[in-house]
Amino acid sequence: MISKIINMADYLKDTEDRMLESMFASAPIADDGFSGRVIKKVRRHIWVRRLTLPIAASIGVLVSYKPVLGLVQTLAGLTALLPEDMMNLGSSIIPQLPMLVLGGMLLGACMVGLRLLED
Amino acid sequence: MTRSEDHQLVARVVSGQDTDAFGELVLRHQSHVRNFLRKLTGDYTVADDLAQDCFMHAWAKLQTYSGRGSFIGWLLKVAYTTFLQSKRKSKRYAEILEQVGHATDVESRGVDVQPDEVTDLDRFLAVLSHDERAVMVMSYACGLSHREISDATSMPVGTVKSVIFRGKEKIRNSFDIKDHQHG
Repeated sequence: MISKIINMADYLKDTEDRMLESMFASAPIADDGFSGRVIKKVRRHIWVRRLTLPIAASIGVLVSYKPVLGLVQTLAGLTALLPEDMMNLGSSIIPQLPMLVLGGMLLGACMVGLRLLED
Repeated sequence: MTRSEDHQLVARVVSGQDTDAFGELVLRHQSHVRNFLRKLTGDYTVADDLAQDCFMHAWAKLQTYSGRGSFIGWLLKVAYTTFLQSKRKSKRYAEILEQVGHATDVESRGVDVQPDEVTDLDRFLAVLSHDERAVMVMSYACGLSHREISDATSMPVGTVKSVIFRGKEKIRNSFDIKDHQHG
């Protein structure tokens, strides 16, 4: 009797589960260009990521070019105030500031290039 | 649609940012993800937008997929997280609107989001909470195991089972299904 009740309970459970499964079941949705749209978005996202750093670096160079140039000129003017002996010593030992700025910019460009190659 | 094929495609995407392989994954699973979100939101347009967001998140986080469970299980986890995030955003948006005195706008927005066609299933799902709805859809519409649902929803397996039990109980009570079964 008990086993009959258990079997009945299982039967009811199965029926309910089957009913729910059939109710929740739905026809597959046709792609209709959905995956194409997603991939287009993904490719755009990749390009935006690739271009962000070089564009930001270029804007940075453009924005900082004038102030850096002004700073270099001011420093060059200040060197005239130094005693002549010290100037001669400095020019032989310390590299020129414009060369340093140029070197820094080249290093930055190389790093951006390497990052692009990596991508 | 085998699990190993999914794993191969995932490996291609992760190792070389292969968009074609990712396109193949989207093509294989878009129907499940869109169906899941359509049942969760009750709105086809919103669901398809969320599905697009879900696949974008999946692209960004694909390297976190360990390959332990099924790919569709992982994808539905991303879809459910995307759904919850959008829900939180819209709730916050509604709160802000309410604070600035646009409560009527919020109400009318709520009314706008209506299912395209109200079915028995929509009526059933309406009596369930978001968690219950997600678990029931994952179980009965997507065929995920309790373990997979547990991974997708971050609920313990025992909780998943009790949520399913509670969901069925609610549906039964709300629609008198037991009475129909007994004749």
